[in-house]
Amino acid sequence: MIAPLLLVLLALLGAPLFAVIAASALLGFQREAIDLQVVAIEIYRLSEMPVLLAIPLFTFAGYLLGESGAPARLVRLTHACLGWLRGGLAIVSLATCALFTAFTGASGVTIVALGALLYPALRSADYSERFSLGLVTTSGSLGLLFAPALPLILYGVVAQQASPEVAVRIDDLFLAGLLPGVLMVLMLSLWSVFQAPAKTGPAEPFSGREALAALRESAWELPLPFVVLGGIYGGVLALSEAAAVTAVYVLVVLVGIRREIPLAKLPAIMRESMVLVGAILIILGVSLASTNYVIDTEVPTRIFEALQQHIDGKLTFLILLNLFLLALGMMLDIFSALVIVVPIILPIALGYGVDPVHLGIVFLANMQIGYITPPVGMNLFIASYRFEKPVMEVYRATVPFFFILLATVLLITYWPDLSLALVAARH
Amino acid sequence: MSSSAAGALARTVRLLHRCEDGVLAVLLGSMVLLAPAQIVLRNFFGTSLSWGDPLLRMLVLWVGLLGALAATRGDRQIRVDALSRALPPRARLAARVTTQLFASFVAGLVAWVALRLMLSEFAYGSSAFAGVPAWLCQAVIPFAFGGIALRQLVQLAEELRGASAPGADGP
Repeated sequence: MIAPLLLVLLALLGAPLFAVIAASALLGFQREAIDLQVVAIEIYRLSEMPVLLAIPLFTFAGYLLGESGAPARLVRLTHACLGWLRGGLAIVSLATCALFTAFTGASGVTIVALGALLYPALRSADYSERFSLGLVTTSGSLGLLFAPALPLILYGVVAQQASPEVAVRIDDLFLAGLLPGVLMVLMLSLWSVFQAPAKTGPAEPFSGREALAALRESAWELPLPFVVLGGIYGGVLALSEAAAVTAVYVLVVLVGIRREIPLAKLPAIMRESMVLVGAILIILGVSLASTNYVIDTEVPTRIFEALQQHIDGKLTFLILLNLFLLALGMMLDIFSALVIVVPIILPIALGYGVDPVHLGIVFLANMQIGYITPPVGMNLFIASYRFEKPVMEVYRATVPFFFILLATVLLITYWPDLSLALVAARH
Repeated sequence: MSSSAAGALARTVRLLHRCEDGVLAVLLGSMVLLAPAQIVLRNFFGTSLSWGDPLLRMLVLWVGLLGALAATRGDRQIRVDALSRALPPRARLAARVTTQLFASFVAGLVAWVALRLMLSEFAYGSSAFAGVPAWLCQAVIPFAFGGIALRQLVQLAEELRGASAPGADGP
Protein backbone atom coordinates (compact mmCIF):
# COMPACT_ATOMS: atom_id res chain seq x y z
CA MET A 1 0.00 0.00 0.00
CA ILE A 2 2.97 2.27 0.65
CA ALA A 3 4.39 2.10 -2.87
CA PRO A 4 1.38 3.69 -4.66
CA LEU A 5 1.23 6.53 -2.12
CA LEU A 6 4.94 7.14 -2.53
CA LEU A 7 4.51 7.29 -6.30
CA VAL A 8 1.66 9.81 -6.00
CA LEU A 9 3.82 11.92 -3.70
CA LEU A 10 6.71 11.81 -6.18
CA ALA A 11 4.35 12.89 -8.95
CA LEU A 12 3.06 15.80 -6.88
CA LEU A 13 6.62 16.85 -6.10
CA GLY A 14 7.29 17.12 -9.81
CA ALA A 15 8.65 13.78 -11.00
CA PRO A 16 8.07 13.32 -14.74
CA LEU A 17 4.84 11.37 -15.20
CA PHE A 18 6.32 8.80 -17.55
CA ALA A 19 8.69 7.74 -14.75
CA VAL A 20 5.86 7.50 -12.22
CA ILE A 21 3.74 5.36 -14.54
CA ALA A 22 6.69 3.20 -15.59
CA ALA A 23 7.57 2.66 -11.94
CA SER A 24 4.02 1.56 -11.14
CA ALA A 25 4.07 -0.91 -14.04
CA LEU A 26 7.51 -2.25 -13.06
CA LEU A 27 6.44 -2.65 -9.43
CA GLY A 28 3.20 -4.35 -10.42
CA PHE A 29 4.85 -6.89 -12.69
CA GLN A 30 7.61 -7.44 -10.14
CA ARG A 31 5.00 -8.31 -7.50
CA GLU A 32 3.35 -10.79 -9.86
CA ALA A 33 6.80 -12.29 -10.58
CA ILE A 34 6.49 -11.51 -14.29
CA ASP A 35 9.70 -10.79 -16.20
CA LEU A 36 10.11 -7.03 -16.40
CA GLN A 37 10.98 -7.30 -20.09
CA VAL A 38 7.22 -7.19 -20.58
CA VAL A 39 7.39 -3.42 -19.96
CA ALA A 40 9.73 -3.04 -22.93
CA ILE A 41 7.48 -5.28 -25.03
CA GLU A 42 4.52 -3.03 -24.22
CA ILE A 43 6.45 0.11 -25.15
CA TYR A 44 7.39 -1.57 -28.41
CA ARG A 45 3.66 -1.88 -29.14
CA LEU A 46 3.70 1.83 -29.99
CA SER A 47 4.96 0.54 -33.36
CA GLU A 48 1.96 -1.72 -33.83
CA MET A 49 -0.89 0.79 -33.80
CA PRO A 50 -1.46 2.29 -37.24
CA VAL A 51 -3.67 5.10 -35.91
CA LEU A 52 -0.79 6.60 -33.89
CA LEU A 53 0.75 7.76 -37.16
CA ALA A 54 -1.86 10.53 -37.12
CA ILE A 55 -0.39 12.08 -33.98
CA PRO A 56 3.04 13.24 -35.23
CA LEU A 57 1.61 14.24 -38.62
CA PHE A 58 -1.26 16.38 -37.30
CA THR A 59 0.99 17.91 -34.64
CA PHE A 60 3.61 18.86 -37.21
CA ALA A 61 0.96 20.41 -39.44
CA GLY A 62 -0.40 22.34 -36.46
CA TYR A 63 3.01 23.72 -35.52
CA LEU A 64 3.64 24.76 -39.13
CA LEU A 65 0.30 26.59 -39.22
CA GLY A 66 1.13 28.25 -35.91
CA GLU A 67 4.42 29.60 -37.27
CA SER A 68 2.84 30.93 -40.44
CA GLY A 69 0.54 33.80 -41.31
CA ALA A 70 -2.46 31.45 -41.20
CA PRO A 71 -3.67 32.64 -37.78
CA ALA A 72 -3.74 36.25 -38.98
CA ARG A 73 -5.60 35.25 -42.14
CA LEU A 74 -8.08 33.23 -40.13
CA VAL A 75 -8.74 36.21 -37.87
CA ARG A 76 -9.26 38.48 -40.86
CA LEU A 77 -11.66 36.04 -42.48
CA THR A 78 -13.82 35.45 -39.42
CA HIS A 79 -13.74 39.17 -38.68
CA ALA A 80 -15.03 39.90 -42.15
CA CYS A 81 -17.84 37.40 -41.61
CA LEU A 82 -18.78 38.12 -37.98
CA GLY A 83 -17.33 41.53 -37.21
CA TRP A 84 -20.64 43.35 -37.74
CA LEU A 85 -22.24 41.56 -34.76
CA ARG A 86 -22.40 43.09 -31.30
CA GLY A 87 -19.51 41.42 -29.47
CA GLY A 88 -18.31 40.43 -32.91
CA LEU A 89 -14.61 40.60 -32.17
CA ALA A 90 -15.00 38.39 -29.10
CA ILE A 91 -16.99 35.89 -31.13
CA VAL A 92 -14.28 36.05 -33.81
CA SER A 93 -11.74 35.16 -31.13
CA LEU A 94 -13.77 32.21 -29.95
CA ALA A 95 -14.43 30.85 -33.43
CA THR A 96 -10.87 31.19 -34.70
CA CYS A 97 -9.36 29.71 -31.54
CA ALA A 98 -11.72 26.75 -31.66
CA LEU A 99 -10.92 26.01 -35.29
CA PHE A 100 -7.22 26.50 -34.72
CA THR A 101 -7.09 24.32 -31.60
CA ALA A 102 -8.81 21.49 -33.46
CA PHE A 103 -5.75 21.35 -35.69
CA THR A 104 -3.08 22.03 -33.10
CA GLY A 105 -4.44 19.74 -30.43
CA ALA A 106 -4.78 22.02 -27.43
CA SER A 107 -1.06 22.15 -26.84
CA GLY A 108 -0.83 25.78 -25.89
CA VAL A 109 0.04 26.80 -29.43
CA THR A 110 -3.30 28.56 -29.77
CA ILE A 111 -2.63 31.14 -27.07
CA VAL A 112 0.83 31.80 -28.38
CA ALA A 113 -0.15 32.05 -32.05
CA LEU A 114 -3.62 33.62 -31.85
CA GLY A 115 -3.69 35.24 -28.43
CA ALA A 116 -0.91 37.57 -29.47
CA LEU A 117 -3.13 38.82 -32.31
CA LEU A 118 -6.46 38.81 -30.53
CA TYR A 119 -5.58 40.27 -27.14
CA PRO A 120 -4.33 43.62 -28.47
CA ALA A 121 -7.24 43.72 -30.92
CA LEU A 122 -9.77 43.18 -28.12
CA ARG A 123 -8.12 45.82 -25.95
CA SER A 124 -8.07 48.40 -28.69
CA ALA A 125 -11.77 47.74 -29.34
CA ASP A 126 -12.42 48.79 -25.72
CA TYR A 127 -13.10 45.38 -24.26
CA SER A 128 -12.08 45.42 -20.60
CA GLU A 129 -8.66 44.08 -19.75
CA ARG A 130 -10.10 41.42 -17.48
CA PHE A 131 -12.57 40.19 -20.09
CA SER A 132 -9.98 40.15 -22.86
CA LEU A 133 -7.46 38.26 -20.78
CA GLY A 134 -10.06 35.74 -19.62
CA LEU A 135 -11.39 35.25 -23.12
CA VAL A 136 -8.01 34.64 -24.71
CA THR A 137 -6.91 32.31 -21.90
CA THR A 138 -10.12 30.29 -22.08
CA SER A 139 -10.08 30.13 -25.86
CA GLY A 140 -6.69 28.45 -25.79
CA SER A 141 -8.28 25.07 -25.17
CA LEU A 142 -11.63 25.68 -26.82
CA GLY A 143 -12.12 23.38 -29.76
CA LEU A 144 -10.55 20.22 -28.47
CA LEU A 145 -13.88 18.51 -29.06
CA PHE A 146 -13.59 19.24 -32.78
CA ALA A 147 -11.93 16.82 -35.18
CA PRO A 148 -9.06 16.17 -35.62
CA ALA A 149 -7.96 17.32 -32.17
CA LEU A 150 -5.30 15.15 -30.57
CA PRO A 151 -7.18 14.40 -27.32
CA LEU A 152 -10.10 12.87 -29.27
CA ILE A 153 -7.71 10.59 -31.12
CA LEU A 154 -5.87 9.66 -27.94
CA TYR A 155 -9.13 8.82 -26.17
CA GLY A 156 -10.02 6.47 -29.02
CA VAL A 157 -6.64 4.77 -28.84
CA VAL A 158 -6.66 4.36 -25.07
CA ALA A 159 -10.29 3.20 -24.94
CA GLN A 160 -9.54 0.54 -27.52
CA GLN A 161 -6.63 -0.71 -25.41
CA ALA A 162 -8.59 -0.66 -22.19
CA SER A 163 -11.74 -2.38 -23.44
CA PRO A 164 -11.07 -4.21 -26.68
CA GLU A 165 -14.52 -5.81 -26.54
CA VAL A 166 -16.38 -2.54 -27.13
CA ALA A 167 -15.51 -0.80 -30.35
CA VAL A 168 -14.83 2.90 -29.83
CA ARG A 169 -14.35 4.31 -33.29
CA ILE A 170 -12.40 7.51 -33.62
CA ASP A 171 -14.59 8.77 -36.45
CA ASP A 172 -17.61 8.32 -34.14
CA LEU A 173 -15.81 10.44 -31.55
CA PHE A 174 -15.22 13.09 -34.18
CA LEU A 175 -18.95 13.27 -34.86
CA ALA A 176 -19.89 13.12 -31.19
CA GLY A 177 -17.73 16.10 -30.30
CA LEU A 178 -19.31 18.37 -32.86
CA LEU A 179 -22.53 19.53 -31.16
CA PRO A 180 -21.06 19.75 -27.64
CA GLY A 181 -18.18 21.78 -29.05
CA VAL A 182 -20.57 24.10 -30.86
CA LEU A 183 -22.58 24.48 -27.67
CA MET A 184 -19.46 25.63 -25.82
CA VAL A 185 -18.66 28.21 -28.46
CA LEU A 186 -22.29 29.43 -28.46
CA MET A 187 -22.52 29.81 -24.69
CA LEU A 188 -19.24 31.70 -24.53
CA SER A 189 -20.36 33.86 -27.47
CA LEU A 190 -23.57 34.77 -25.63
CA TRP A 191 -21.55 35.89 -22.63
CA SER A 192 -19.32 37.90 -24.94
CA VAL A 193 -22.29 39.73 -26.41
CA PHE A 194 -23.28 40.81 -22.90
CA GLN A 195 -19.74 41.84 -22.05
CA ALA A 196 -19.12 43.78 -25.25
CA PRO A 197 -18.32 47.42 -24.58
CA ALA A 198 -21.39 49.60 -25.10
CA LYS A 199 -19.61 52.56 -26.57
CA THR A 200 -17.83 51.03 -29.51
CA GLY A 201 -19.88 53.33 -31.70
CA PRO A 202 -21.74 51.97 -34.67
CA ALA A 203 -20.90 48.37 -35.41
CA GLU A 204 -18.83 47.90 -38.51
CA PRO A 205 -21.16 47.19 -41.38
CA PHE A 206 -20.66 43.96 -43.24
CA SER A 207 -18.48 44.53 -46.27
CA GLY A 208 -18.81 42.13 -49.15
CA ARG A 209 -15.59 43.38 -50.64
CA GLU A 210 -13.60 42.78 -47.45
CA ALA A 211 -15.17 39.34 -47.04
CA LEU A 212 -14.22 38.44 -50.58
CA ALA A 213 -10.67 39.73 -50.13
CA ALA A 214 -10.26 37.81 -46.88
CA LEU A 215 -11.68 34.74 -48.54
CA ARG A 216 -9.24 35.04 -51.41
CA GLU A 217 -6.35 35.57 -49.01
CA SER A 218 -7.20 32.37 -47.13
CA ALA A 219 -7.84 30.39 -50.29
CA TRP A 220 -5.00 27.95 -49.65
CA GLU A 221 -5.99 27.14 -46.07
CA LEU A 222 -9.74 26.98 -46.63
CA PRO A 223 -9.82 23.48 -48.15
CA LEU A 224 -8.07 21.97 -45.11
CA PRO A 225 -11.04 21.37 -42.79
CA PHE A 226 -13.00 20.01 -45.73
CA VAL A 227 -10.23 17.65 -46.80
CA VAL A 228 -9.81 16.33 -43.27
CA LEU A 229 -13.45 16.10 -42.23
CA GLY A 230 -14.82 15.25 -45.65
CA GLY A 231 -12.15 12.63 -46.17
CA ILE A 232 -12.76 10.95 -42.83
CA TYR A 233 -16.56 11.18 -42.67
CA GLY A 234 -16.88 10.38 -46.35
CA GLY A 235 -14.96 7.20 -45.77
CA VAL A 236 -12.36 8.16 -48.38
CA LEU A 237 -9.45 8.56 -45.98
CA ALA A 238 -8.43 6.70 -42.86
CA LEU A 239 -7.44 8.93 -39.96
CA SER A 240 -3.72 8.49 -40.48
CA GLU A 241 -4.18 9.12 -44.20
CA ALA A 242 -6.04 12.36 -43.49
CA ALA A 243 -3.14 13.35 -41.26
CA ALA A 244 -0.63 12.53 -43.98
CA VAL A 245 -2.53 14.60 -46.55
CA THR A 246 -2.81 17.49 -44.09
CA ALA A 247 0.88 17.45 -43.22
CA VAL A 248 2.14 17.35 -46.78
CA TYR A 249 -0.44 19.90 -47.96
CA VAL A 250 0.41 22.38 -45.22
CA LEU A 251 4.12 21.85 -45.83
CA VAL A 252 3.83 22.45 -49.57
CA VAL A 253 1.56 25.51 -49.17
CA LEU A 254 3.47 27.26 -46.40
CA VAL A 255 7.03 26.44 -47.42
CA GLY A 256 6.70 25.95 -51.16
CA ILE A 257 3.91 28.23 -52.36
CA ARG A 258 3.46 30.99 -49.79
CA ARG A 259 7.09 30.84 -48.70
CA GLU A 260 6.16 32.04 -45.22
CA ILE A 261 8.40 29.52 -43.52
CA PRO A 262 11.99 29.44 -44.75
CA LEU A 263 13.49 25.99 -45.26
CA ALA A 264 16.19 26.77 -42.73
CA LYS A 265 13.57 27.14 -40.01
CA LEU A 266 12.01 23.78 -40.75
CA PRO A 267 14.27 21.54 -38.60
CA ALA A 268 13.60 23.67 -35.53
CA ILE A 269 9.82 23.51 -36.08
CA MET A 270 10.04 19.76 -36.66
CA ARG A 271 11.94 19.35 -33.43
CA GLU A 272 9.56 21.54 -31.45
CA SER A 273 6.55 19.57 -32.65
CA MET A 274 8.23 16.25 -31.96
CA VAL A 275 9.07 17.32 -28.41
CA LEU A 276 5.33 17.52 -27.74
CA VAL A 277 4.70 14.24 -29.57
CA GLY A 278 7.52 12.56 -27.64
CA ALA A 279 6.29 13.83 -24.29
CA ILE A 280 2.86 12.34 -25.06
CA LEU A 281 3.96 9.08 -26.69
CA ILE A 282 6.41 8.13 -23.95
CA ILE A 283 3.57 8.42 -21.45
CA LEU A 284 1.31 6.41 -23.75
CA GLY A 285 4.05 3.78 -24.14
CA VAL A 286 4.67 3.18 -20.46
CA SER A 287 0.94 3.37 -19.74
CA LEU A 288 0.33 0.53 -22.20
CA ALA A 289 2.32 -1.54 -19.72
CA SER A 290 0.52 -0.21 -16.64
CA THR A 291 -2.88 -0.57 -18.36
CA ASN A 292 -2.07 -4.17 -19.09
CA TYR A 293 -1.33 -4.63 -15.42
CA VAL A 294 -4.51 -2.83 -14.39
CA ILE A 295 -6.57 -5.12 -16.65
CA ASP A 296 -4.78 -8.24 -15.41
CA THR A 297 -5.48 -7.42 -11.79
CA GLU A 298 -9.12 -6.53 -12.52
CA VAL A 299 -8.82 -3.31 -10.55
CA PRO A 300 -11.75 -1.64 -12.40
CA THR A 301 -14.01 -4.63 -11.75
CA ARG A 302 -13.23 -4.45 -8.07
CA ILE A 303 -13.81 -0.70 -7.93
CA PHE A 304 -17.09 -1.18 -9.79
CA GLU A 305 -18.25 -3.82 -7.32
CA ALA A 306 -17.31 -1.60 -4.39
CA LEU A 307 -19.05 1.41 -5.95
CA GLN A 308 -22.22 -0.53 -6.68
CA GLN A 309 -22.82 -0.97 -2.97
CA HIS A 310 -23.22 2.78 -2.61
CA ILE A 311 -24.08 4.15 -6.00
CA ASP A 312 -27.06 2.82 -7.80
CA GLY A 313 -27.94 4.26 -11.13
CA LYS A 314 -26.30 6.04 -13.94
CA LEU A 315 -27.22 9.55 -12.80
CA THR A 316 -25.49 9.35 -9.43
CA PHE A 317 -22.50 7.83 -11.13
CA LEU A 318 -22.33 10.67 -13.66
CA ILE A 319 -22.52 13.31 -10.91
CA LEU A 320 -19.64 11.63 -9.09
CA LEU A 321 -17.79 11.29 -12.37
CA ASN A 322 -18.06 15.03 -12.99
CA LEU A 323 -16.74 15.87 -9.53
CA PHE A 324 -13.92 13.38 -9.92
CA LEU A 325 -12.92 14.64 -13.36
CA LEU A 326 -12.99 18.27 -12.24
CA ALA A 327 -10.61 17.43 -9.41
CA LEU A 328 -8.52 15.37 -11.80
CA GLY A 329 -8.36 18.23 -14.29
CA MET A 330 -6.92 20.44 -11.57
CA MET A 331 -4.03 18.04 -11.12
CA LEU A 332 -3.31 16.40 -14.46
CA ASP A 333 -3.02 17.71 -17.98
CA ILE A 334 -5.39 16.23 -20.53
CA PHE A 335 -2.96 13.80 -22.13
CA SER A 336 -1.73 12.18 -18.92
CA ALA A 337 -5.25 12.08 -17.54
CA LEU A 338 -6.40 10.24 -20.66
CA VAL A 339 -3.80 7.50 -20.55
CA ILE A 340 -3.85 7.03 -16.80
CA VAL A 341 -7.52 7.33 -15.89
CA VAL A 342 -9.52 6.17 -18.92
CA PRO A 343 -8.43 2.51 -18.57
CA ILE A 344 -9.81 2.53 -15.02
CA ILE A 345 -13.05 4.47 -15.41
CA LEU A 346 -14.11 3.15 -18.83
CA PRO A 347 -14.99 -0.37 -17.59
CA ILE A 348 -16.77 1.17 -14.59
CA ALA A 349 -18.74 3.55 -16.78
CA LEU A 350 -19.70 0.67 -19.06
CA GLY A 351 -20.95 -1.15 -15.98
CA TYR A 352 -23.30 1.77 -15.30
CA GLY A 353 -24.50 1.73 -18.90
CA VAL A 354 -22.69 4.88 -20.03
CA ASP A 355 -21.94 4.91 -23.75
CA PRO A 356 -18.14 4.83 -24.27
CA VAL A 357 -18.33 7.55 -26.93
CA HIS A 358 -20.38 9.78 -24.62
CA LEU A 359 -17.92 9.09 -21.82
CA GLY A 360 -15.11 10.31 -24.06
CA ILE A 361 -16.84 13.61 -24.74
CA VAL A 362 -17.70 14.09 -21.06
CA PHE A 363 -14.12 13.29 -20.12
CA LEU A 364 -12.57 15.74 -22.56
CA ALA A 365 -15.09 18.50 -21.83
CA ASN A 366 -14.29 18.20 -18.13
CA MET A 367 -10.57 18.18 -18.78
CA GLN A 368 -10.90 21.29 -20.88
CA ILE A 369 -11.93 23.14 -17.73
CA GLY A 370 -8.77 21.82 -16.13
CA TYR A 371 -6.73 23.99 -18.49
CA ILE A 372 -7.94 27.10 -16.67
CA THR A 373 -8.06 25.86 -13.08
CA PRO A 374 -5.11 26.22 -10.72
CA PRO A 375 -2.72 24.87 -9.60
CA VAL A 376 -1.58 23.31 -12.86
CA GLY A 377 -3.93 24.78 -15.50
CA MET A 378 -1.61 25.09 -18.47
CA ASN A 379 -3.41 27.98 -20.15
CA LEU A 380 -3.06 30.12 -17.03
CA PHE A 381 0.70 29.83 -17.17
CA ILE A 382 1.04 30.28 -20.90
CA ALA A 383 -1.20 33.35 -20.81
CA SER A 384 0.60 34.72 -17.78
CA TYR A 385 3.91 34.29 -19.56
CA ARG A 386 2.70 35.55 -22.92
CA PHE A 387 0.87 38.65 -21.68
CA GLU A 388 3.17 39.30 -18.72
CA LYS A 389 0.46 39.22 -16.09
CA PRO A 390 0.58 37.46 -12.70
CA VAL A 391 -0.98 33.99 -12.76
CA MET A 392 -3.54 34.97 -10.11
CA GLU A 393 -4.73 37.89 -12.21
CA VAL A 394 -5.14 35.62 -15.22
CA TYR A 395 -6.99 33.17 -13.03
CA ARG A 396 -9.42 35.81 -11.71
CA ALA A 397 -10.08 36.90 -15.27
CA THR A 398 -11.13 33.37 -16.26
CA VAL A 399 -13.60 32.84 -13.40
CA PRO A 400 -16.79 33.77 -15.30
CA PHE A 401 -15.64 31.65 -18.24
CA PHE A 402 -15.06 28.78 -15.83
CA PHE A 403 -18.70 28.85 -14.73
CA ILE A 404 -19.99 29.03 -18.28
CA LEU A 405 -17.88 26.05 -19.28
CA LEU A 406 -18.99 24.22 -16.16
CA ALA A 407 -22.65 24.75 -17.08
CA THR A 408 -21.90 23.44 -20.57
CA VAL A 409 -20.13 20.39 -19.19
CA LEU A 410 -23.14 19.57 -17.02
CA LEU A 411 -25.41 19.85 -20.05
CA ILE A 412 -23.09 17.61 -22.04
CA THR A 413 -22.98 15.07 -19.22
CA TYR A 414 -26.71 14.77 -18.54
CA TRP A 415 -27.87 15.09 -22.13
CA PRO A 416 -26.16 12.14 -23.87
CA ASP A 417 -28.10 12.68 -27.10
CA LEU A 418 -26.27 15.94 -27.66
CA SER A 419 -23.18 13.83 -28.20
CA LEU A 420 -24.74 10.69 -29.60
CA ALA A 421 -27.47 11.94 -31.94
CA LEU A 422 -25.14 12.53 -34.88
CA VAL A 423 -23.40 9.21 -34.34
CA ALA A 424 -26.74 7.40 -34.27
CA ALA A 425 -27.87 9.24 -37.39
CA ARG A 426 -24.79 8.04 -39.21
CA HIS A 427 -25.13 4.36 -38.36
CA MET B 1 37.86 22.94 -15.46
CA SER B 2 39.97 25.06 -17.79
CA SER B 3 38.03 27.37 -20.05
CA SER B 4 39.28 25.72 -23.25
CA ALA B 5 38.20 22.29 -22.04
CA ALA B 6 34.83 23.74 -21.05
CA GLY B 7 34.56 25.32 -24.47
CA ALA B 8 35.32 22.03 -26.19
CA LEU B 9 32.74 20.31 -24.06
CA ALA B 10 30.14 22.95 -24.86
CA ARG B 11 30.90 22.59 -28.57
CA THR B 12 30.53 18.81 -28.37
CA VAL B 13 27.20 19.16 -26.58
CA ARG B 14 25.98 21.64 -29.20
CA LEU B 15 27.03 19.27 -31.96
CA LEU B 16 25.22 16.44 -30.22
CA HIS B 17 22.06 18.55 -30.01
CA ARG B 18 22.27 19.40 -33.70
CA CYS B 19 22.66 15.73 -34.59
CA GLU B 20 19.66 14.96 -32.43
CA ASP B 21 17.56 17.62 -34.16
CA GLY B 22 18.78 16.38 -37.52
CA VAL B 23 17.79 12.79 -36.85
CA LEU B 24 14.34 13.90 -35.66
CA ALA B 25 13.89 16.01 -38.80
CA VAL B 26 14.96 13.15 -41.07
CA LEU B 27 12.63 10.66 -39.37
CA LEU B 28 9.66 13.03 -39.43
CA GLY B 29 10.50 14.09 -42.97
CA SER B 30 10.45 10.45 -44.09
CA MET B 31 7.01 10.05 -42.53
CA VAL B 32 5.70 13.17 -44.22
CA LEU B 33 6.91 11.89 -47.59
CA LEU B 34 6.22 8.17 -47.27
CA ALA B 35 2.70 8.37 -45.82
CA PRO B 36 1.17 10.36 -48.71
CA ALA B 37 3.18 8.32 -51.23
CA GLN B 38 1.46 5.20 -49.93
CA ILE B 39 -1.95 6.85 -50.39
CA VAL B 40 -1.16 7.86 -53.96
CA LEU B 41 0.15 4.40 -54.81
CA ARG B 42 -2.85 2.71 -53.22
CA ASN B 43 -5.51 4.88 -54.79
CA PHE B 44 -4.12 5.63 -58.21
CA PHE B 45 -1.92 2.65 -58.98
CA GLY B 46 -3.68 -0.08 -57.02
CA THR B 47 -0.46 -1.04 -55.30
CA SER B 48 1.69 0.09 -52.39
CA LEU B 49 5.13 -0.50 -50.94
CA SER B 50 4.83 -3.67 -48.88
CA TRP B 51 7.39 -2.38 -46.38
CA GLY B 52 5.87 1.11 -46.32
CA ASP B 53 3.19 0.71 -43.67
CA PRO B 54 5.29 -1.26 -41.18
CA LEU B 55 8.12 1.22 -41.66
CA LEU B 56 5.74 4.12 -40.96
CA ARG B 57 4.55 2.45 -37.77
CA MET B 58 8.15 1.88 -36.72
CA LEU B 59 8.94 5.53 -37.39
CA VAL B 60 6.18 6.49 -34.93
CA LEU B 61 8.00 4.56 -32.20
CA TRP B 62 11.34 6.12 -33.12
CA VAL B 63 10.09 9.68 -33.46
CA GLY B 64 8.10 9.31 -30.24
CA LEU B 65 10.96 8.06 -28.11
CA LEU B 66 13.62 10.32 -29.62
CA GLY B 67 11.16 13.21 -29.23
CA ALA B 68 10.86 12.25 -25.57
CA LEU B 69 14.65 12.33 -25.32
CA ALA B 70 14.61 15.80 -26.87
CA ALA B 71 11.86 16.83 -24.44
CA THR B 72 14.15 15.91 -21.56
CA ARG B 73 16.77 18.30 -22.92
CA GLY B 74 14.72 21.39 -22.16
CA ASP B 75 13.21 19.74 -19.08
CA ARG B 76 9.87 19.57 -20.86
CA GLN B 77 8.55 16.19 -19.86
CA ILE B 78 4.94 16.28 -18.72
CA ARG B 79 4.70 16.63 -14.93
CA VAL B 80 2.00 17.29 -12.37
CA ASP B 81 4.17 19.47 -10.19
CA ALA B 82 1.38 20.75 -7.96
CA LEU B 83 3.28 20.72 -4.70
CA SER B 84 6.82 21.83 -5.37
CA ARG B 85 5.85 25.38 -6.37
CA ALA B 86 4.49 25.93 -2.87
CA LEU B 87 7.65 24.69 -1.14
CA PRO B 88 10.37 26.93 0.33
CA PRO B 89 13.59 27.03 -1.76
CA ARG B 90 15.56 24.46 0.21
CA ALA B 91 12.72 21.95 0.26
CA ARG B 92 12.11 22.59 -3.42
CA LEU B 93 15.73 21.76 -4.15
CA ALA B 94 15.41 18.57 -2.12
CA ALA B 95 12.26 17.66 -4.06
CA ARG B 96 14.04 18.35 -7.31
CA VAL B 97 16.98 16.13 -6.36
CA THR B 98 14.69 13.32 -5.23
CA THR B 99 12.42 13.38 -8.27
CA GLN B 100 15.28 13.65 -10.77
CA LEU B 101 17.16 10.76 -9.17
CA PHE B 102 13.96 8.73 -9.09
CA ALA B 103 13.17 9.45 -12.74
CA SER B 104 16.74 8.63 -13.78
CA PHE B 105 16.63 5.36 -11.89
CA VAL B 106 13.30 4.34 -13.47
CA ALA B 107 14.40 5.36 -16.97
CA GLY B 108 17.65 3.45 -16.44
CA LEU B 109 15.74 0.39 -15.31
CA VAL B 110 13.47 0.51 -18.37
CA ALA B 111 16.58 0.91 -20.55
CA TRP B 112 18.09 -2.14 -18.89
CA VAL B 113 15.06 -4.42 -19.39
CA ALA B 114 14.71 -3.13 -22.96
CA LEU B 115 18.38 -3.91 -23.58
CA ARG B 116 17.83 -7.46 -22.35
CA LEU B 117 14.83 -7.77 -24.65
CA MET B 118 16.87 -6.47 -27.54
CA LEU B 119 19.74 -8.88 -26.87
CA SER B 120 17.47 -11.90 -26.68
CA GLU B 121 15.82 -10.74 -29.92
CA PHE B 122 19.30 -10.44 -31.43
CA ALA B 123 20.11 -14.02 -30.42
CA TYR B 124 16.77 -15.20 -31.76
CA GLY B 125 17.31 -13.35 -35.03
CA SER B 126 13.68 -12.57 -35.86
CA SER B 127 12.70 -10.00 -38.48
CA ALA B 128 10.35 -7.08 -37.82
CA PHE B 129 9.41 -6.45 -41.46
CA ALA B 130 10.97 -6.79 -44.89
CA GLY B 131 14.10 -8.43 -43.53
CA VAL B 132 14.83 -5.63 -41.06
CA PRO B 133 15.90 -7.38 -37.84
CA ALA B 134 13.58 -6.80 -34.88
CA TRP B 135 16.44 -6.04 -32.50
CA LEU B 136 17.41 -3.06 -34.63
CA CYS B 137 13.89 -1.65 -34.42
CA GLN B 138 13.85 -2.20 -30.67
CA ALA B 139 17.23 -0.57 -30.18
CA VAL B 140 15.59 2.85 -29.88
CA ILE B 141 13.96 1.86 -26.56
CA PRO B 142 17.15 1.25 -24.53
CA PHE B 143 18.85 4.12 -26.36
CA ALA B 144 16.16 6.69 -25.62
CA PHE B 145 15.49 5.63 -22.02
CA GLY B 146 19.21 5.33 -21.32
CA GLY B 147 19.71 8.79 -22.81
CA ILE B 148 16.89 10.20 -20.72
CA ALA B 149 18.36 8.70 -17.55
CA LEU B 150 21.79 10.13 -18.32
CA ARG B 151 20.49 13.51 -19.39
CA GLN B 152 18.47 13.94 -16.20
CA LEU B 153 21.54 13.16 -14.10
CA VAL B 154 23.66 15.66 -16.01
CA GLN B 155 20.92 18.29 -15.65
CA LEU B 156 20.74 17.70 -11.93
CA ALA B 157 24.51 17.95 -11.56
CA GLU B 158 24.51 21.25 -13.46
CA GLU B 159 21.66 22.63 -11.39
CA LEU B 160 23.39 21.69 -8.15
CA ARG B 161 26.63 23.29 -9.28
CA GLY B 162 24.68 26.40 -10.27
CA ALA B 163 22.85 26.44 -6.93
CA SER B 164 26.03 26.12 -4.88
CA ALA B 165 28.00 28.74 -6.82
CA PRO B 166 27.57 32.11 -5.06
CA GLY B 167 25.58 34.65 -7.01
CA ALA B 168 24.74 32.23 -9.80
CA ASP B 169 21.18 32.12 -11.06
CA GLY B 170 21.52 28.59 -12.41
CA PRO B 171 20.89 27.52 -15.99
